[in-house]
Amino acid sequence: MSIEIPDIVIYIAMALVLTALLFGLIRLIIGPGVSNRLVAFELISLTILAFILLLSVATEEAIYTDIPVIIALVSFIGTVAISTYLKQKGK
Amino acid sequence: MSILVSILILAGAIFVFLAALGTLRFSSMLSRMHATSKALSFGLLLLLIGVAIFFNSTAVYVKAIMVIAFVYLTAPLAAHAIAKARSTKHKDKMH
Repeated sequence: MSIEIPDIVIYIAMALVLTALLFGLIRLIIGPGVSNRLVAFELISLTILAFILLLSVATEEAIYTDIPVIIALVSFIGTVAISTYLKQKGK
Repeated sequence: MSILVSILILAGAIFVFLAALGTLRFSSMLSRMHATSKALSFGLLLLLIGVAIFFNSTAVYVKAIMVIAFVYLTAPLAAHAIAKARSTKHKDKMH
């Protein structure tokens, strides 16, 4: 906690990550087919992971870094479950 | 040390933004997956190293190493699963 970083760094990084989230949402809406939406879903989940990391730096609460561990596991399981369902359905 | 953390956090956010820009702007689904699986993993690596140096405690270092290992082990597997699901659906449009 002894490290002080300027607020503007956190604000710029949060703006970039939220713009990335908006781009992922646009791709989730317009993406043709289920595969593109699955790619956008993976992008959105990992972008939310990045935003929670930035939020933990902004509020200086180290306990928030528990959340990315769970998101990294659950998003992988979700992606593999949906793509396995699509693969079984395509046969 | 604060300059190092600032540079790591900004570089990670820029890589995440570029991954999302590639996912929005690329033309085919396989190139979109290329942007998502590689640039996003690298951006998260830089962000996690920056956050771990910022808090500078053992628990945060362990969690950062766990998340880096999970992301770098599971992002290629998820991309492979998505590509296999698409290739069984469109056998003629792979190239």
